[in-house]
Amino acid sequence: MSSENPVSDDVLREEVRGWLADNWIPEQAAAVGGTERIWGASDELKAWLGKVVEARWAVPSWPVEWFGRGLSASQAKIIIREFASVRAPGAGQDRSSMWANTLLARGTEPLKAKLLGPILKSEVDMCLLYSEPGAGSDLAGIRTRADLQGDHFVVNGQKVWTSGAAIADYGMLIARTDWDVPKHAGISFFFCPMKQPGIEVRPLRQITDESHFNEVFITDAIVPADNLLGGVNTGWKVLQTALAYERSILGDFARGARSGAKESRKEEVLIALAREAGVLEDPALRQEIAQAIAYKKLNSLNNARVKADLEQGTTSPAMSLGKLAMSRILHEEARVRTAILGAQSLFEGSDYPRAEDANFLTLNAYFTSIGGGTDQIQRNIIGERVLGLPKEPEVDTSIPFRDVRTS
Amino acid sequence: MNSFSAEERLALRESVHRLLSKGSDERAVRATMDTPGGYDSKLWQELAGMGVVGLIVDEAHGGAGVGPMELELVMEEVGAALLCSPFLASSVLAAALLYGLADEELNDRLLPGIAEGSCIATAAVTGRNGCWTPDGVTVSGQEVDGEWRLDGCASFVVHGQSADVLLVLANTSQGFKCFVVESGAAGVGMTALPTFDHTLRLTEITFEGVKAEHVAAQIPAWDAVARAMDLTLVALAGEQAGAAQRCLSSTVEYAKTRIQFGRAIGSFQAVKHMAADLLLETESSISAARNAAASLAEDADGAAEAVSLAAFACADAFVATAATSIQMHGGIAFTWEHPAHLYLRRARADAQLFGSSSFHRERFIQALGA
Ligand SMILES: Cc1cc2nc3c(=O)[nH]c(=O)nc-3n(C[C@H](O)[C@H](O)[C@H](O)COP(=O)(O)OP(=O)(O)OC[C@H]3O[C@@H](n4cnc5c(N)ncnc54)[C@H](O)[C@@H]3O)c2cc1C
Repeated sequence: MSSENPVSDDVLREEVRGWLADNWIPEQAAAVGGTERIWGASDELKAWLGKVVEARWAVPSWPVEWFGRGLSASQAKIIIREFASVRAPGAGQDRSSMWANTLLARGTEPLKAKLLGPILKSEVDMCLLYSEPGAGSDLAGIRTRADLQGDHFVVNGQKVWTSGAAIADYGMLIARTDWDVPKHAGISFFFCPMKQPGIEVRPLRQITDESHFNEVFITDAIVPADNLLGGVNTGWKVLQTALAYERSILGDFARGARSGAKESRKEEVLIALAREAGVLEDPALRQEIAQAIAYKKLNSLNNARVKADLEQGTTSPAMSLGKLAMSRILHEEARVRTAILGAQSLFEGSDYPRAEDANFLTLNAYFTSIGGGTDQIQRNIIGERVLGLPKEPEVDTSIPFRDVRTS
Repeated sequence: MNSFSAEERLALRESVHRLLSKGSDERAVRATMDTPGGYDSKLWQELAGMGVVGLIVDEAHGGAGVGPMELELVMEEVGAALLCSPFLASSVLAAALLYGLADEELNDRLLPGIAEGSCIATAAVTGRNGCWTPDGVTVSGQEVDGEWRLDGCASFVVHGQSADVLLVLANTSQGFKCFVVESGAAGVGMTALPTFDHTLRLTEITFEGVKAEHVAAQIPAWDAVARAMDLTLVALAGEQAGAAQRCLSSTVEYAKTRIQFGRAIGSFQAVKHMAADLLLETESSISAARNAAASLAEDADGAAEAVSLAAFACADAFVATAATSIQMHGGIAFTWEHPAHLYLRRARADAQLFGSSSFHRERFIQALGA
């Protein structure tokens, strides 16, 4: 993307600063909130984002016809930095918005005209309609169907693990449009309107007794043909685009303790907990604590090395290990917390914040070891793509999907 | 003590299995775990009718009078079904403690009710530190004018809130003594503790000048407690082994029927290997639990070693099986509706209930002479 009016870094920086000085009232930061809230933006935030988008700061590396300035990635970063320095949200969506980037890359002109602006301004909420009860690790095994009838598709099926489904206006949906070709070749990718009678959202109760996800039951839902991204049966490729944007923003899912109990900042949590519980001198426990902390430190060292390599323009195999490493870190830390607490870990609830944390973290570790691709799938990927080991024989990739065995 | 033949044991196990597969199926467990009492009194009566509630109570007192081996087998079924009941507290721990104390008059008074299920008893031993050693006891007893009074706090009391009778271990100027207290007695304060395992009930009990009946024990009270703990640990090991085995078998069943990539997930070596490793865990736990039961039954020299081995081997096997089973199921097991987390919660509770694995590993190596 070449810039229409090339500007120097300094001129650009001055322009952003000036604009922020004229428009951003730092005191409104609290009311506006950050964009880390993915769903349900406040009216203040929407109003602010509207200004940012109109001033072309939201997606400066995008083309001018779509709210951008055609800037280079490095100039776009200048804008992100200036916004960050005054804690103003909304910049850098050309890096952070999976929805907008996927739509820009693959959407039809009418759909882009209709939704790019509203998405950037958080006027519409989005969700993901990917996984199904029968298609998790094997996402290409989806059985939700989309059938073209005149100028629209009729969709039937069930999705699961959808966060934000209840308030979303659109869902990025993958559905099967051809059953007579191999599984990857018969999938299409849609922006599915969520606010219609054919969509029923039911909250899913997690083992942690929280409900961050939903099941979505789709019965004769209508999706206009314009909402198809990338053409019929090319959905798997569009999905890869969307997943690449998702990976670049998500990092990992790791969450901290739930109780909010104050944990010492200076000291490693496990050490502080053991000290508090009076078991820090237990030699066996010391070994376990040391090992659990080591896993975490080693992962940060890996990450730092990967980052340095990337900056040098090289890559390292450690890059692909982060998720697997995180899974072990989370399970181990929860286990050692339990060992530290001993019988106290029998309890739950606000009167027992340490136990609440240990138990919650024990259960929530599966968020990372199952969600977003299981540890087993990660190991397959590492073995095959990183180490170059031969692929497992596949029984279902070259036959018509209709003939693939199912549960 | 009655000794069952192999067939009789099998028949006992089978009848418990049949009763629990209806009375303590998943739906029943979920319904019961949400009740305040935490057990289903109808099922409790049915178990009593079958002779299970009075399993270790002698026949003269209305029980079946069987030993540790039969108890362990029944507990395998109890664990597999995640039975919610005061069985471990009343029928095992309290009954065993009464036998250890061997106060005949008291046994005549309490054991028939315990066997029949009409009286629920439990033992209050450890304090808030949850430590099952003499230092853990934080109730004290004082004799004033020929009357015993108890003060202090006992915690981790299993099914304390449903108990009619408490057997309380207290420190006195004459060393440890056991006392009988009615749960409704003046000065007794009961707090139900919120447990992560919703199928379990634990209680903290405070004593303020509670009038208590001193048990005329035939052996030192702590020894009686230690003996009762051994049998309770064997029972718990049976529960853990049985639960782990059920957890693995339902997971393996799932791995045979769940298809991804056009194949059963069990055809992937990653899944198959997890299952094989768990089989090693669960089979070892069954062996350890049954071996501990047998050595208690024979009153063998190596009983301490066998019991402590079973205590941590079965605890660890159950935790590992329940934890890995979630991973093997994938996302479905991350939902509340799926039973996998019920097993993990029970496994984590059982692994702490009467001492942690590291506590029992230490006992084990001490029994080995180290
Ligand atoms: C907390 C959470 C959040 C989630 N968030 C999202 C989300 O935002 N969006 C979304 O689309 N999905 C989401 N998911 C779904 C998630 O991607 C799937 O649960 C996951 O990919 C596993 O699929 P599955 O649950 O169908 O399990 P299955 O695929 O049935 O796996 C069952 C078992 O088989 C193993 N297995 C399967 N295939 C292989 C293989 N080829 N080799 C070796 N082992 C194999 C697995 O490792 C696992 O142990 C989430 C899930 C969870 C639990």
